[in-house]
Amino acid sequence: MSAVPAQSLPAPLRGAPAAAPTRRLRLVPDAVRRRKPRIAYAIIALGAILLVAAAQLVLSVAMTQGAYELDSLRVQQTKLERDRQIVGEELDALQSPQNLARNAEELGMVPNTSPVYLRLSDGAVLGQPQAAGHAASSGPLVPNSLITDVPLVNQPATGENATGASGAEAPAGADAQIVPPGALPTPDTH
Amino acid sequence: MKQTSRYPMRRVIVAGALLIAFVAVFVVKLVEIQVVRADEYNAEAEQVRSDSRTVYGARGDIVDRNGTVLADSVMRYDITLSPKQAKAREAEEPGQLEKNAADLGAALGIPAEQVLTVIEQSLAADADSDFAYLVKQVDVATYDRVTALKVPWVYSQEHPGRIYPNGAVAGNLLGWINDDGEAAGGLEAAQNECLAGVDGEVTSLHSLKDWVDIPGTERTVKEAQPGGTVQLTIDADLQWEVQRILAARIAEVGADWGMVTVMNAKTGELLAVADVPTVDPNDPDSTDVEDRGSRSFAAPFEPGSTFKALTAASAIDAGQADPTSEIVAPYRKLFGDANINDSEYHEDERLTLTGVLIDSSNTGMSQFGERVSDEQRYQDMVDFGLGTESEVGFPGEGAGDLNGGPDWPDDQTRYATMFGQGLTTTAIQIASVYQTLANHGVRMPVQLVQGCELADGEITGKPDQTPREVVSAKAADETTAMLERVYLEGWLAEKWNIPGYRVAAKTGTAQVADGQGGYRSEYLVSVSGYAPADDPQYVVSVSIFDAVTMNSSAASAPVFRDVMSQVLKKYRTVPSGAPAPELPASW
Repeated sequence: MSAVPAQSLPAPLRGAPAAAPTRRLRLVPDAVRRRKPRIAYAIIALGAILLVAAAQLVLSVAMTQGAYELDSLRVQQTKLERDRQIVGEELDALQSPQNLARNAEELGMVPNTSPVYLRLSDGAVLGQPQAAGHAASSGPLVPNSLITDVPLVNQPATGENATGASGAEAPAGADAQIVPPGALPTPDTH
Repeated sequence: MKQTSRYPMRRVIVAGALLIAFVAVFVVKLVEIQVVRADEYNAEAEQVRSDSRTVYGARGDIVDRNGTVLADSVMRYDITLSPKQAKAREAEEPGQLEKNAADLGAALGIPAEQVLTVIEQSLAADADSDFAYLVKQVDVATYDRVTALKVPWVYSQEHPGRIYPNGAVAGNLLGWINDDGEAAGGLEAAQNECLAGVDGEVTSLHSLKDWVDIPGTERTVKEAQPGGTVQLTIDADLQWEVQRILAARIAEVGADWGMVTVMNAKTGELLAVADVPTVDPNDPDSTDVEDRGSRSFAAPFEPGSTFKALTAASAIDAGQADPTSEIVAPYRKLFGDANINDSEYHEDERLTLTGVLIDSSNTGMSQFGERVSDEQRYQDMVDFGLGTESEVGFPGEGAGDLNGGPDWPDDQTRYATMFGQGLTTTAIQIASVYQTLANHGVRMPVQLVQGCELADGEITGKPDQTPREVVSAKAADETTAMLERVYLEGWLAEKWNIPGYRVAAKTGTAQVADGQGGYRSEYLVSVSGYAPADDPQYVVSVSIFDAVTMNSSAASAPVFRDVMSQVLKKYRTVPSGAPAPELPASW
């Protein structure tokens, strides 16, 4: 074997007569045997169709289920929003100045019109201290129709009052001194 | 075989043409349906299959300077019923009408007869009546109670409503929303453009059986747009206290009505504007129609002697007087055709300008006022903001009437305008005059609204804040010094004393025009002033009309004292150190 491989095949000679005339006639070959259709493909195709159908069914069921869930959640949301509004309105009424003022008055507080300031830098008292006088009730002066049904802090609503009263009756002795809710507790020092 | 091969080409062409024509018909139809009339069909289909609902764009809040909500949007429900169905049910099931009416009455807090009356009346008007309002604007709790009854002929309509959590606090300014959802007066009307939301629309397909929305079919036809928030310069807590003080005093002295204005002397911001009686916007019907607005803005009146401070400042500014300028003030004096007299008889008094203000002498003030030319005096009034509506632009705001000045119709009017008669101003304008004097002669535009914050955070409608020098600082400060002497030496010195602070103030007892060229027998008593006089921060102006039991400015002085001390306390104003400078009142 030569170490140097041939660079190329020798070119066929042009115009050279065919070495041997081709035979014109041949035997008819056997008909190509038709391949049997493979069952696997059919299964795959059918399976895919079924799968798609099933997936669609599942999705559809899930979606329908979701629709009902969504609907019930929406109803719940509406209800919660309504509750929030009820509570919000209640809170607004409670924090209105009319309500705060009448509660403060109910607790015996009066406004003092003579403010006095203590200056921290040198301890100087600025202004002329004067005792607060008795102020008239401000109840109906600045009306607010929203608080007509709102109970005062130390006069619980009738419903709560019932439970409060039964609670107050039960204990005796050390716990007998029940402070009504909202009232200023009296210190127990002697 | 022969036939088929005879004209093969023609057959193909015919068949092809037929086929093309056939397809063309479908194509044309397709294009017509899918392209040409697509919108129309889509809309029609949408209508048949889908359900549209309104998404409410909530009306914006009105808040005070600290963010306290004064007007809030809530959901409200109109309870309606079908009179026809109610009657029909009654035929099927006797007794149900009576029982349901009683239940409804209990739930709604109205008598059961009212329910029956509504049904009877609608049926009387129209025997086929299928709709009638039972109660409008009920709250959520009531709505829940009504729906729990499950009365088959009762329905409801949901729509946005409005509540005013602080009741009558600033009710005079806010206005209200009527049952039809329209702004009725006040800021609700003035700021409607900012406050109003835009309702949106959402459509979706739903199942026929139980009306559950089909997922993925929701479509927003129109985006809902919530309204903007209007922020006022008013302080709700102060407003409440001012209204309380004024209402208590009005009840005490049997007055018809009163007004108090509290203004920041440095910025012109209104901190409180009280009008008593005050409407509770939650329930406007319980207040008389004439008491539902704000007189402070809408009802100009003759200011009376509080106006003398302006004339004094004018005279000093014109270089015609100073606090110690001397005149002789008789009880009565003739100026041309004008016959001017003081309120009470007195001997001739030798007064300085300071003394004229302390004694509130009309004859004295006229002698100073006439030193200034009519044109100059009129120009000063205009510069002080009189004769035109304030910058607030409140609905129905009055401009005041300067009675044609500077060419006043006669001498009487010409001289009367020097001490606050013969011309009209609003309470807001008087407060603004005192703000100018307090702020060293520089007038700030009156502000009630800080601005409108739109839903996207953009702030619009910011008020004009351009200062305007009306009189010199010297003229204003000398007027302040004189008003301090009025506060210390005037006849009400005991009644309006605020310990620890220096105050500048002036009283007025004005006659009120009867609208027919004469004066009514009632008086409008007032006090205007500011504190602390050494560095004025707050202006308070009080006016009370027809105080039956005390027809003098003594009726308004305690209101001035209480309001001013509340303002000073609330804003932690440091008490004054040095005493007020002395000025001679007589010579």
